[in-house]
Amino acid sequence: MKKNWWKFLAIILMLYVLILGFLMPLKPGIISVSPQSLNAGSQITLKVKTYNAKLEELKSADFRAWLLNDTSFAIAASKIAVLNAQTIDIDFEIPTYLTSDDKIVDYSLVIDAPKIGSFVLPASIIIKQDSINVSKGKDLWSKGNFKHLNHYEGFAIPFRNILYETLRNTYFHVSLWFSMFILYLVSVIYSIKFLRNKNQDFDTIGSSLVEVGTLFGVLGLITGSIWAKNTWGTYWTTDVKLNMAAVSMMIYAAYLILRSSIQDEDRKAIISSAYNIFAFFIIIPLIFVIPRLTDSLHPGNGGNPGFGGEDLDNTLRLVFYPAIIAFTLMGFWMSNLIIRYKKIKQKLSES
Amino acid sequence: MKIKSLRKLVFTWNYRIAFLICILMFLSLDSSAQNADADFFQSIGKIYVVVAVVVAIFIGLILFMWNLERRIKKLENQIGD
Repeated sequence: MKKNWWKFLAIILMLYVLILGFLMPLKPGIISVSPQSLNAGSQITLKVKTYNAKLEELKSADFRAWLLNDTSFAIAASKIAVLNAQTIDIDFEIPTYLTSDDKIVDYSLVIDAPKIGSFVLPASIIIKQDSINVSKGKDLWSKGNFKHLNHYEGFAIPFRNILYETLRNTYFHVSLWFSMFILYLVSVIYSIKFLRNKNQDFDTIGSSLVEVGTLFGVLGLITGSIWAKNTWGTYWTTDVKLNMAAVSMMIYAAYLILRSSIQDEDRKAIISSAYNIFAFFIIIPLIFVIPRLTDSLHPGNGGNPGFGGEDLDNTLRLVFYPAIIAFTLMGFWMSNLIIRYKKIKQKLSES
Repeated sequence: MKIKSLRKLVFTWNYRIAFLICILMFLSLDSSAQNADADFFQSIGKIYVVVAVVVAIFIGLILFMWNLERRIKKLENQIGD
Protein backbone atom coordinates (compact mmCIF):
# COMPACT_ATOMS: atom_id res chain seq x y z
CA MET A 1 0.00 0.00 0.00
CA LYS A 2 2.76 2.43 0.95
CA LYS A 3 4.73 1.58 -2.17
CA ASN A 4 1.75 2.37 -4.38
CA TRP A 5 1.11 5.93 -3.19
CA TRP A 6 2.06 7.39 -6.58
CA LYS A 7 -0.57 5.28 -8.33
CA PHE A 8 -3.24 6.77 -6.08
CA LEU A 9 -1.75 10.18 -6.77
CA ALA A 10 -2.08 9.48 -10.52
CA ILE A 11 -5.75 8.51 -10.13
CA ILE A 12 -6.57 11.51 -7.96
CA LEU A 13 -4.77 13.94 -10.27
CA MET A 14 -6.47 12.40 -13.32
CA LEU A 15 -9.89 12.84 -11.71
CA TYR A 16 -8.96 16.39 -10.72
CA VAL A 17 -7.91 17.19 -14.29
CA LEU A 18 -11.07 15.68 -15.81
CA ILE A 19 -13.46 17.33 -13.36
CA LEU A 20 -11.87 20.77 -13.13
CA GLY A 21 -10.88 20.68 -16.79
CA PHE A 22 -14.49 20.33 -17.87
CA LEU A 23 -16.24 22.30 -15.15
CA MET A 24 -14.15 25.47 -14.99
CA PRO A 25 -16.22 28.01 -16.93
CA LEU A 26 -15.07 29.85 -20.02
CA LYS A 27 -15.05 33.65 -20.01
CA PRO A 28 -17.62 35.37 -22.24
CA GLY A 29 -16.77 36.20 -25.81
CA ILE A 30 -18.12 37.20 -29.21
CA ILE A 31 -18.66 34.45 -31.75
CA SER A 32 -19.75 36.52 -34.75
CA VAL A 33 -20.90 39.98 -35.85
CA SER A 34 -23.02 40.90 -38.85
CA PRO A 35 -22.86 42.96 -40.95
CA GLN A 36 -19.08 43.16 -41.01
CA SER A 37 -18.73 45.97 -43.52
CA LEU A 38 -20.14 49.46 -42.77
CA ASN A 39 -20.08 52.90 -44.35
CA ALA A 40 -19.00 56.03 -42.50
CA GLY A 41 -21.86 58.39 -41.65
CA SER A 42 -24.47 55.66 -41.50
CA GLN A 43 -26.65 54.30 -38.73
CA ILE A 44 -26.36 50.58 -38.27
CA THR A 45 -27.65 47.75 -36.09
CA LEU A 46 -25.06 45.04 -35.44
CA LYS A 47 -26.33 41.56 -34.70
CA VAL A 48 -23.81 40.12 -32.25
CA LYS A 49 -23.70 36.46 -31.35
CA THR A 50 -22.13 36.04 -27.92
CA TYR A 51 -20.99 33.06 -25.92
CA ASN A 52 -21.28 32.60 -22.14
CA ALA A 53 -22.37 36.24 -21.77
CA LYS A 54 -25.11 35.29 -19.28
CA LEU A 55 -27.73 37.16 -21.31
CA GLU A 56 -30.53 35.54 -19.30
CA GLU A 57 -29.34 37.17 -16.10
CA LEU A 58 -28.26 40.59 -17.33
CA LYS A 59 -30.50 43.35 -18.65
CA SER A 60 -29.97 45.40 -21.78
CA ALA A 61 -29.14 48.41 -19.64
CA ASP A 62 -26.20 46.58 -18.03
CA PHE A 63 -24.32 46.40 -21.29
CA ARG A 64 -22.01 48.95 -22.84
CA ALA A 65 -20.32 48.59 -26.22
CA TRP A 66 -17.76 50.43 -28.33
CA LEU A 67 -16.23 50.38 -31.76
CA LEU A 68 -12.54 51.26 -31.69
CA ASN A 69 -9.27 50.86 -33.52
CA ASP A 70 -7.25 52.57 -30.81
CA THR A 71 -8.17 52.93 -27.13
CA SER A 72 -8.14 56.73 -27.40
CA PHE A 73 -10.58 56.84 -30.36
CA ALA A 74 -13.82 55.01 -29.79
CA ILE A 75 -17.54 55.52 -30.27
CA ALA A 76 -20.06 54.16 -27.82
CA ALA A 77 -23.18 52.28 -28.85
CA SER A 78 -26.35 54.36 -29.03
CA LYS A 79 -28.67 51.51 -28.10
CA ILE A 80 -28.25 47.93 -26.91
CA ALA A 81 -30.99 45.31 -26.87
CA VAL A 82 -30.70 41.73 -25.65
CA LEU A 83 -32.64 39.58 -28.13
CA ASN A 84 -32.31 36.06 -26.73
CA ALA A 85 -29.87 33.90 -24.79
CA GLN A 86 -27.17 34.29 -27.43
CA THR A 87 -27.75 37.42 -29.45
CA ILE A 88 -27.55 41.14 -28.75
CA ASP A 89 -28.50 43.97 -31.10
CA ILE A 90 -26.13 46.92 -30.85
CA ASP A 91 -26.89 50.22 -32.61
CA PHE A 92 -24.07 52.51 -33.70
CA GLU A 93 -24.11 55.93 -35.31
CA ILE A 94 -20.93 55.86 -37.35
CA PRO A 95 -19.39 59.36 -37.71
CA THR A 96 -18.89 60.81 -41.20
CA TYR A 97 -15.11 60.90 -40.87
CA LEU A 98 -12.68 58.32 -39.51
CA THR A 99 -9.44 58.90 -37.59
CA SER A 100 -7.25 57.45 -40.31
CA ASP A 101 -6.32 58.69 -43.78
CA ASP A 102 -7.05 55.27 -45.27
CA LYS A 103 -10.29 54.65 -47.16
CA ILE A 104 -10.90 51.35 -45.40
CA VAL A 105 -10.19 50.88 -41.69
CA ASP A 106 -10.84 47.88 -39.49
CA TYR A 107 -12.39 48.28 -36.06
CA SER A 108 -12.77 46.06 -33.03
CA LEU A 109 -16.00 45.55 -31.15
CA VAL A 110 -15.80 45.70 -27.35
CA ILE A 111 -18.67 44.74 -25.08
CA ASP A 112 -18.67 45.34 -21.34
CA ALA A 113 -21.05 44.39 -18.54
CA PRO A 114 -20.81 44.02 -14.77
CA LYS A 115 -19.84 40.57 -13.41
CA ILE A 116 -18.83 39.16 -16.80
CA GLY A 117 -16.29 41.87 -17.59
CA SER A 118 -15.30 43.17 -21.00
CA PHE A 119 -14.68 41.10 -24.12
CA VAL A 120 -13.58 41.92 -27.64
CA LEU A 121 -13.71 40.62 -31.20
CA PRO A 122 -10.59 42.18 -32.73
CA ALA A 123 -10.59 43.64 -36.25
CA SER A 124 -14.11 42.36 -36.76
CA ILE A 125 -15.69 45.32 -38.56
CA ILE A 126 -14.54 47.20 -41.66
CA ILE A 127 -15.67 50.82 -42.10
CA LYS A 128 -15.37 52.55 -45.49
CA GLN A 129 -15.16 56.33 -45.78
CA ASP A 130 -15.61 58.37 -48.98
CA SER A 131 -13.99 61.64 -47.90
CA ILE A 132 -11.02 61.90 -45.56
CA ASN A 133 -10.66 64.46 -42.77
CA VAL A 134 -8.47 63.15 -39.97
CA SER A 135 -8.73 66.09 -37.54
CA LYS A 136 -12.54 66.19 -37.72
CA GLY A 137 -12.57 62.42 -37.39
CA LYS A 138 -10.49 62.56 -34.23
CA ASP A 139 -12.99 65.02 -32.75
CA LEU A 140 -15.94 62.80 -33.60
CA TRP A 141 -14.35 59.57 -32.37
CA SER A 142 -12.98 60.75 -29.02
CA LYS A 143 -16.44 61.05 -27.45
CA GLY A 144 -16.60 57.30 -26.82
CA ASN A 145 -15.67 57.51 -23.13
CA PHE A 146 -13.93 54.16 -23.33
CA LYS A 147 -13.00 53.58 -19.67
CA HIS A 148 -14.03 52.02 -16.36
CA LEU A 149 -14.19 48.53 -17.82
CA ASN A 150 -15.49 45.73 -15.62
CA HIS A 151 -13.58 42.58 -14.71
CA TYR A 152 -14.83 39.03 -14.71
CA GLU A 153 -15.92 37.97 -11.26
CA GLY A 154 -14.85 34.47 -10.34
CA PHE A 155 -12.77 31.69 -11.80
CA ALA A 156 -12.75 31.14 -15.54
CA ILE A 157 -10.43 30.22 -18.37
CA PRO A 158 -9.79 32.82 -21.10
CA PHE A 159 -11.99 33.02 -24.18
CA ARG A 160 -9.97 32.61 -27.37
CA ASN A 161 -11.49 33.27 -30.77
CA ILE A 162 -12.05 30.15 -32.91
CA LEU A 163 -10.82 27.90 -30.08
CA TYR A 164 -13.71 28.55 -27.67
CA GLU A 165 -14.12 25.53 -25.36
CA THR A 166 -11.45 23.54 -27.18
CA LEU A 167 -8.89 25.54 -25.19
CA ARG A 168 -9.46 22.79 -22.64
CA ASN A 169 -7.61 20.43 -24.97
CA THR A 170 -4.44 22.04 -23.62
CA TYR A 171 -4.89 19.80 -20.58
CA PHE A 172 -4.94 16.65 -22.67
CA HIS A 173 -3.16 17.12 -26.00
CA VAL A 174 -0.26 19.24 -24.73
CA SER A 175 0.30 17.35 -21.49
CA LEU A 176 0.40 14.06 -23.43
CA TRP A 177 3.38 15.37 -25.40
CA PHE A 178 5.05 16.72 -22.26
CA SER A 179 4.74 13.42 -20.43
CA MET A 180 5.88 11.55 -23.56
CA PHE A 181 9.06 13.59 -23.40
CA ILE A 182 9.57 12.84 -19.72
CA LEU A 183 9.10 9.10 -20.40
CA TYR A 184 11.61 9.21 -23.28
CA LEU A 185 14.09 11.12 -21.14
CA VAL A 186 13.92 8.53 -18.35
CA SER A 187 14.25 5.72 -20.88
CA VAL A 188 17.40 7.33 -22.30
CA ILE A 189 18.86 7.47 -18.79
CA TYR A 190 18.21 3.74 -18.42
CA SER A 191 19.66 3.03 -21.88
CA ILE A 192 22.87 4.82 -20.91
CA LYS A 193 22.91 2.91 -17.61
CA PHE A 194 22.52 -0.36 -19.52
CA LEU A 195 25.36 0.44 -21.93
CA ARG A 196 27.61 1.24 -18.94
CA ASN A 197 27.14 -1.93 -16.91
CA LYS A 198 25.15 -4.32 -19.16
CA ASN A 199 22.46 -5.10 -16.60
CA GLN A 200 19.55 -6.61 -18.54
CA ASP A 201 17.01 -5.05 -16.15
CA PHE A 202 17.96 -1.54 -17.26
CA ASP A 203 17.26 -2.42 -20.88
CA THR A 204 13.89 -3.88 -19.90
CA ILE A 205 12.97 -0.66 -18.10
CA GLY A 206 14.20 1.56 -20.95
CA SER A 207 12.38 -0.31 -23.69
CA SER A 208 9.12 -0.46 -21.72
CA LEU A 209 9.21 3.29 -21.19
CA VAL A 210 9.71 3.81 -24.93
CA GLU A 211 6.66 1.64 -25.69
CA VAL A 212 4.41 3.72 -23.44
CA GLY A 213 6.00 6.98 -24.61
CA THR A 214 5.28 6.06 -28.22
CA LEU A 215 1.67 5.28 -27.37
CA PHE A 216 1.40 8.74 -25.80
CA GLY A 217 3.01 10.30 -28.84
CA VAL A 218 0.60 8.60 -31.24
CA LEU A 219 -2.30 9.67 -29.02
CA GLY A 220 -0.83 13.18 -29.13
CA LEU A 221 -0.94 13.07 -32.93
CA ILE A 222 -4.54 11.78 -32.97
CA THR A 223 -5.82 14.29 -30.41
CA GLY A 224 -4.03 17.10 -32.21
CA SER A 225 -5.60 15.97 -35.45
CA ILE A 226 -9.11 16.05 -33.98
CA TRP A 227 -8.40 19.51 -32.54
CA ALA A 228 -7.03 20.74 -35.87
CA LYS A 229 -10.10 19.51 -37.77
CA ASN A 230 -12.36 21.65 -35.59
CA THR A 231 -10.22 24.80 -35.44
CA TRP A 232 -8.04 24.87 -38.55
CA GLY A 233 -10.57 22.95 -40.65
CA THR A 234 -8.41 20.00 -41.63
CA TYR A 235 -7.10 16.86 -40.00
CA TRP A 236 -3.59 17.35 -41.32
CA THR A 237 -1.67 20.11 -43.08
CA THR A 238 1.90 20.23 -44.29
CA ASP A 239 2.78 22.31 -41.26
CA VAL A 240 6.36 21.90 -40.10
CA LYS A 241 5.47 21.10 -36.47
CA LEU A 242 2.97 18.42 -37.48
CA ASN A 243 5.31 16.79 -39.96
CA MET A 244 8.26 16.80 -37.58
CA ALA A 245 6.11 15.29 -34.83
CA ALA A 246 5.05 12.55 -37.27
CA VAL A 247 8.69 11.93 -38.24
CA SER A 248 9.59 11.61 -34.53
CA MET A 249 6.89 9.01 -34.08
CA MET A 250 8.20 7.12 -37.10
CA ILE A 251 11.71 7.14 -35.59
CA TYR A 252 10.30 5.48 -32.48
CA ALA A 253 8.16 3.10 -34.54
CA ALA A 254 11.44 2.08 -36.19
CA TYR A 255 12.85 1.45 -32.70
CA LEU A 256 10.02 -0.94 -31.89
CA ILE A 257 10.41 -2.74 -35.23
CA LEU A 258 14.17 -2.94 -34.70
CA ARG A 259 13.67 -4.57 -31.32
CA SER A 260 11.21 -7.13 -32.58
CA SER A 261 13.40 -8.04 -35.55
CA ILE A 262 16.54 -9.04 -33.58
CA GLN A 263 16.37 -12.55 -32.10
CA ASP A 264 19.52 -12.54 -29.95
CA GLU A 265 18.65 -10.93 -26.57
CA ASP A 266 22.08 -9.39 -25.88
CA ARG A 267 22.45 -7.87 -29.33
CA LYS A 268 18.86 -6.64 -29.20
CA ALA A 269 19.52 -4.84 -25.92
CA ILE A 270 22.78 -3.20 -27.01
CA ILE A 271 21.63 -2.07 -30.47
CA SER A 272 18.25 -0.76 -29.31
CA SER A 273 19.78 1.10 -26.35
CA ALA A 274 22.23 2.86 -28.63
CA TYR A 275 19.41 3.62 -31.10
CA ASN A 276 17.25 4.98 -28.27
CA ILE A 277 19.93 7.49 -27.24
CA PHE A 278 20.34 8.70 -30.82
CA ALA A 279 16.57 8.85 -31.38
CA PHE A 280 16.05 11.06 -28.34
CA PHE A 281 18.68 13.55 -29.38
CA ILE A 282 17.26 13.63 -32.91
CA ILE A 283 13.69 14.41 -31.82
CA ILE A 284 14.79 17.39 -29.69
CA PRO A 285 15.69 19.49 -32.77
CA LEU A 286 12.81 17.95 -34.75
CA ILE A 287 10.12 18.99 -32.28
CA PHE A 288 11.63 21.99 -30.48
CA VAL A 289 14.10 23.68 -32.80
CA ILE A 290 13.10 23.34 -36.47
CA PRO A 291 9.42 24.40 -36.02
CA ARG A 292 10.59 27.57 -34.26
CA LEU A 293 12.84 28.53 -37.17
CA THR A 294 10.08 28.68 -39.78
CA ASP A 295 6.46 29.78 -39.95
CA SER A 296 4.03 27.41 -38.33
CA LEU A 297 0.33 27.33 -37.61
CA HIS A 298 0.93 25.45 -34.41
CA PRO A 299 1.05 27.59 -31.25
CA GLY A 300 4.45 27.96 -29.63
CA ASN A 301 6.38 28.09 -32.90
CA GLY A 302 7.69 30.48 -35.54
CA GLY A 303 5.45 33.52 -35.96
CA ASN A 304 2.85 32.14 -33.57
CA PRO A 305 3.07 32.51 -29.80
CA GLY A 306 2.27 29.59 -27.55
CA PHE A 307 -0.36 29.78 -24.90
CA GLY A 308 2.19 31.68 -22.86
CA GLY A 309 1.93 35.09 -21.26
CA GLU A 310 -1.67 36.19 -21.16
CA ASP A 311 -3.05 33.08 -22.81
CA LEU A 312 -1.75 30.37 -20.52
CA ASP A 313 -3.02 32.25 -17.53
CA ASN A 314 -3.02 30.98 -13.98
CA THR A 315 -6.43 29.34 -14.25
CA LEU A 316 -5.15 27.14 -17.09
CA ARG A 317 -1.92 26.37 -15.22
CA LEU A 318 -3.99 25.20 -12.27
CA VAL A 319 -5.09 22.20 -14.34
CA PHE A 320 -2.35 21.99 -16.96
CA TYR A 321 0.59 21.23 -14.63
CA PRO A 322 -1.30 18.57 -12.62
CA ALA A 323 -2.31 17.06 -15.98
CA ILE A 324 1.34 16.66 -16.97
CA ILE A 325 2.10 14.97 -13.64
CA ALA A 326 -0.99 12.75 -13.94
CA PHE A 327 -0.15 11.56 -17.47
CA THR A 328 3.50 11.00 -16.53
CA LEU A 329 2.58 8.91 -13.48
CA MET A 330 0.08 6.98 -15.61
CA GLY A 331 2.88 6.36 -18.10
CA PHE A 332 5.18 5.05 -15.37
CA TRP A 333 2.39 2.81 -14.12
CA MET A 334 1.74 1.42 -17.60
CA SER A 335 5.44 0.83 -18.26
CA ASN A 336 5.71 -0.82 -14.86
CA LEU A 337 3.17 -3.43 -16.02
CA ILE A 338 5.20 -4.08 -19.19
CA ILE A 339 8.42 -4.34 -17.16
CA ARG A 340 6.87 -6.99 -14.89
CA TYR A 341 5.53 -8.87 -17.91
CA LYS A 342 8.97 -8.85 -19.54
CA LYS A 343 10.70 -10.04 -16.35
CA ILE A 344 8.31 -12.99 -16.03
CA LYS A 345 8.91 -13.80 -19.69
CA GLN A 346 12.69 -13.78 -19.14
CA LYS A 347 12.37 -16.06 -16.10
CA LEU A 348 10.22 -18.48 -18.11
CA SER A 349 12.65 -18.63 -21.01
CA GLU A 350 15.59 -19.20 -18.64
CA SER A 351 13.97 -22.10 -16.84
CA MET B 1 -13.48 -28.36 -28.21
CA LYS B 2 -16.92 -26.84 -28.37
CA ILE B 3 -16.15 -24.36 -25.56
CA LYS B 4 -12.95 -23.29 -27.25
CA SER B 5 -14.64 -22.52 -30.56
CA LEU B 6 -17.40 -20.67 -28.74
CA ARG B 7 -14.83 -18.57 -26.93
CA LYS B 8 -13.12 -17.81 -30.23
CA LEU B 9 -16.44 -16.70 -31.70
CA VAL B 10 -17.19 -14.44 -28.74
CA PHE B 11 -13.69 -12.99 -28.87
CA THR B 12 -13.89 -12.11 -32.56
CA TRP B 13 -17.35 -10.61 -32.04
CA ASN B 14 -16.10 -8.53 -29.12
CA TYR B 15 -13.35 -7.25 -31.32
CA ARG B 16 -15.73 -6.44 -34.17
CA ILE B 17 -18.16 -4.61 -31.90
CA ALA B 18 -15.35 -2.57 -30.32
CA PHE B 19 -14.09 -1.63 -33.78
CA LEU B 20 -17.60 -0.67 -34.88
CA ILE B 21 -18.06 1.53 -31.80
CA CYS B 22 -14.75 3.27 -32.52
CA ILE B 23 -15.81 4.02 -36.09
CA LEU B 24 -19.25 5.25 -35.00
CA MET B 25 -17.68 7.57 -32.43
CA PHE B 26 -15.38 9.15 -34.98
CA LEU B 27 -18.18 9.50 -37.52
CA SER B 28 -20.39 11.23 -34.98
CA LEU B 29 -17.65 13.75 -34.21
CA ASP B 30 -17.85 15.69 -37.42
CA SER B 31 -21.60 16.05 -37.65
CA SER B 32 -22.00 17.13 -34.03
CA ALA B 33 -19.18 19.67 -34.17
CA GLN B 34 -20.51 21.40 -37.27
CA ASN B 35 -24.16 21.57 -36.32
CA ALA B 36 -23.84 24.77 -34.31
CA ASP B 37 -27.33 26.20 -34.78
CA ALA B 38 -28.89 25.19 -31.50
CA ASP B 39 -26.73 25.48 -28.43
CA PHE B 40 -27.32 21.89 -27.37
CA PHE B 41 -24.91 21.19 -24.49
CA GLN B 42 -22.75 24.19 -25.47
CA SER B 43 -22.08 22.81 -28.96
CA ILE B 44 -21.37 26.34 -30.26
CA GLY B 45 -18.36 26.37 -27.97
CA LYS B 46 -17.08 23.15 -29.60
CA ILE B 47 -17.09 21.28 -26.30
CA TYR B 48 -17.57 18.08 -28.33
CA VAL B 49 -13.99 18.40 -29.56
CA VAL B 50 -12.74 18.13 -25.98
CA VAL B 51 -14.99 15.13 -25.38
CA ALA B 52 -13.69 13.53 -28.59
CA VAL B 53 -10.09 14.08 -27.48
CA VAL B 54 -10.75 12.49 -24.09
CA VAL B 55 -12.51 9.57 -25.79
CA ALA B 56 -9.53 9.14 -28.15
CA ILE B 57 -7.15 8.97 -25.17
CA PHE B 58 -9.48 6.51 -23.45
CA ILE B 59 -9.54 4.28 -26.55
CA GLY B 60 -5.74 4.46 -26.62
CA LEU B 61 -5.53 3.23 -23.03
CA ILE B 62 -8.03 0.43 -23.80
CA LEU B 63 -5.91 -0.67 -26.77
CA PHE B 64 -2.85 -0.70 -24.49
CA MET B 65 -4.64 -2.97 -22.01
CA TRP B 66 -5.90 -5.17 -24.82
CA ASN B 67 -2.37 -5.59 -26.16
CA LEU B 68 -0.91 -6.32 -22.72
CA GLU B 69 -3.61 -8.88 -22.01
CA ARG B 70 -2.82 -10.62 -25.29
CA ARG B 71 0.87 -10.83 -24.35
CA ILE B 72 0.11 -12.10 -20.84
CA LYS B 73 -2.21 -14.72 -22.28
CA LYS B 74 0.70 -16.07 -24.33
CA LEU B 75 2.74 -16.45 -21.13
CA GLU B 76 -0.18 -18.18 -19.42
CA ASN B 77 -0.41 -20.63 -22.29
CA GLN B 78 3.36 -21.26 -21.98
CA ILE B 79 2.97 -22.06 -18.30
CA GLY B 80 0.00 -24.27 -19.10
CA ASP B 81 2.11 -26.31 -21.53
